Amino acid sequence: MDHTEEPIPHNELARLAALKRYNILDSLPDHAFDDATKLVSYICGVPIAHISFIDESRQWFKSEIGIGVSEVPREISFCRYTIMDSHMVEIPDTHLNDRFKDDPNVVGGFKVRFYAGVPLTTPDGYNIGTICAIDHVCKDLNENQRNALSIVAKHVINQLELRTKNIELDAQKKIAERAVFAKDSFLANMSHEIRTPLNAVIGFTDLLAQTKLDPVQQDYISSVQIAGENLLLIINDILDLSKIESGNLVIEAQPFNLKKTLKHIYKLLKVKVPKEIEFNLFLDADMPDIVIGDQGRLNQILVNLTGNALKFTEEGEVTVSVKLVDETDDHYSLRFSVKDTGIGIPEDKLVTIFERFKQAEESTTRRFGGTGLGLNIVKQLVELHGSEIQVKSKQNRGSEFFFVFHYKKVTQDEIAVELISENKLGKLKILLCEDNFLNQKLVRSVIQNFGFELDIAEHGEAGIELLSKNKYDLVLMDLQMPVKDGYQTTEYIRNEMNLSIPIIAMTAHSLVGEQERCFDVGMDGYVPKPFKQAVLLKAIKTVMNKDLHAVKKRKIDFSYLDEMAFGDPAFKKEMITLFIEKIPAEFEQLEEAFNSESYDKVKKLSHNMKSSVGMFMLADLSHSLSIIEEEATMGHFTSEAGNQMNLLKCGVNEVVKILNEL
Amino acid sequence: MRIILSEDNDILRKSLSFFLESKGFTVDQFSDGKEALDAIETNNYDLILTDINMPGISGMEITQYVRETIGSDVPIIIFTSSGVEQTELDSFDLGANEFIAKPVSPAVLLVRINKLLKTRA
Repeated sequence: MDHTEEPIPHNELARLAALKRYNILDSLPDHAFDDATKLVSYICGVPIAHISFIDESRQWFKSEIGIGVSEVPREISFCRYTIMDSHMVEIPDTHLNDRFKDDPNVVGGFKVRFYAGVPLTTPDGYNIGTICAIDHVCKDLNENQRNALSIVAKHVINQLELRTKNIELDAQKKIAERAVFAKDSFLANMSHEIRTPLNAVIGFTDLLAQTKLDPVQQDYISSVQIAGENLLLIINDILDLSKIESGNLVIEAQPFNLKKTLKHIYKLLKVKVPKEIEFNLFLDADMPDIVIGDQGRLNQILVNLTGNALKFTEEGEVTVSVKLVDETDDHYSLRFSVKDTGIGIPEDKLVTIFERFKQAEESTTRRFGGTGLGLNIVKQLVELHGSEIQVKSKQNRGSEFFFVFHYKKVTQDEIAVELISENKLGKLKILLCEDNFLNQKLVRSVIQNFGFELDIAEHGEAGIELLSKNKYDLVLMDLQMPVKDGYQTTEYIRNEMNLSIPIIAMTAHSLVGEQERCFDVGMDGYVPKPFKQAVLLKAIKTVMNKDLHAVKKRKIDFSYLDEMAFGDPAFKKEMITLFIEKIPAEFEQLEEAFNSESYDKVKKLSHNMKSSVGMFMLADLSHSLSIIEEEATMGHFTSEAGNQMNLLKCGVNEVVKILNEL
Repeated sequence: MRIILSEDNDILRKSLSFFLESKGFTVDQFSDGKEALDAIETNNYDLILTDINMPGISGMEITQYVRETIGSDVPIIIFTSSGVEQTELDSFDLGANEFIAKPVSPAVLLVRINKLLKTRA
């Protein structure tokens, strides 16, 4: 063969670029392509068939029958001629063909006697490869076979297009997901920004209502109070939704007294029930007292559903019932139901009532009020519990909402913890650091309700002074205060005074990342404002019983490192030691660069650190680093990068601590 | 078989060389792109394994230099944690034989290395 006459398509460079766009070379086997190859072999009745792509130096087989190698050099490929053509190339007998009769693959090699090849032409007109039928004997294809071969060729190209489009779609999907995430964190942050001034509005309205007013003024004030409360409800709903959507809402698994919780909800709602309605609570006699789960969320779900039932029922009854439907060695399955004899829901609205801002009728909102978010939140909360909410309803007859939760059983130890935390807190002496007079008043009354003693400091400095004089069991710490804020005060208590006294943060912010920052400076608990009594009490119990509760710990996945280390424990240990030495130092550099907005340095450091955390499969840290790197590349840090820095800091500390303990 | 590994992250570089050495390869490791390129010029490697972002010079520049200035067709595998598609296209345009996204799976890396070495032999 004369090598000076190598066939090269006139558009070779553009052709190679087109081929690379498909990212098909050296990809893994794919059924769709294998099926097409089989089809060619059946239709043409040949022992050899293949789908291949030709790059600058080789013919690479995406799929083949009867060839047995993954690629051959381009110079010995028949198909390098086929891609010069726009139609099928058919050689019934290679021995009679001047171009091929002396070809090494005709006289030896694959002993090709018959060859039929159709170029694979992209929609923009580049022949990037071929689909071929080959035999060791002479052969003539009939018209049907030729047609079929061309059709299969078109399908192969369609398949390739589809693959590429799927990859593009994936990329677009990722962008869309980021956008949703950004929207949610915006929502969460905005709701907090609104909540802070709203608290002041509600608080001062309450104070105003206690002053001497004439009847008209009293009427106005009570309208403001109701509107304020409603606005707060809406904001809380939006906040919950955005937390759910951004994945920030975690269902807790703590022991709690189920019967007490249900009775508490019943008592709470009973107050508002008009005389015309009979309000019942039915509890299964076999129902357990204590289970492990999320008390707060169960509360929220039942209050919401029951609130709805009461709202839409003018006469008759509303019944909350709980039934034990299944019990295994370690789980209870409980069916919760809220049933009413209210207006009911039309059948065609049974699905849409769970959508946002949808109530059964447009007029419902005007008649009954509400945000239209409640049921959507309930649905998502139930789903976060791994269950599903169901509804049965008949118009003008009533509705029943029900779901089944699977709660873990408590062990004897856990029951003991629960009992201790309920009874053994005794008379705690508590210090509150808070500058806002309203909040001081509120906390004082709540803490006295709990039966504890309370001292109040106007700001951090005063708090430190009281701490050095008196003995306290616990500190409640506002974050924003004059003179010394909550963070500075905590740092002082921990580092200068060396006190390990439990500190609970109380804040109206609860921004993403703030909680981490609190734990980071050494606080033990966190209560968002406006706080609920139960939440505060729970936080107090939790920090007072900290030793009794198992500390939640991250588990490090060593499988990747193990694969690398090939079962050598000494090497694995060396890598862990390296990580412990390197990462905290690198994080310090990163933090410094981040604070001084040295974008280039942040970009390099975060990129490099990503490889290290990848070795230990720390996906969350890797994610944080990606976001930081991305923002550094853009040359602008948003609050998101700051949050990720906080998360990263905690994560690094935690991981290093765990690795050190190994 | 002698492989040059150029990667600035210590943990990843040490692990990869340990893994490859356990598979019978001789591995020369570098954390600086410039030093790696100097070694490529003086020694005869069967395969080049390089990260993109490194101090000294980048893996892209190494690839370009090997292909254009040295004129060698030694197999080159580029790996990086950059998720940008263009990076992959550019790598192939410069003449890299393989492109692997981090985290690099040792098993996949081994398969690709063996394939490249077999094709060449």
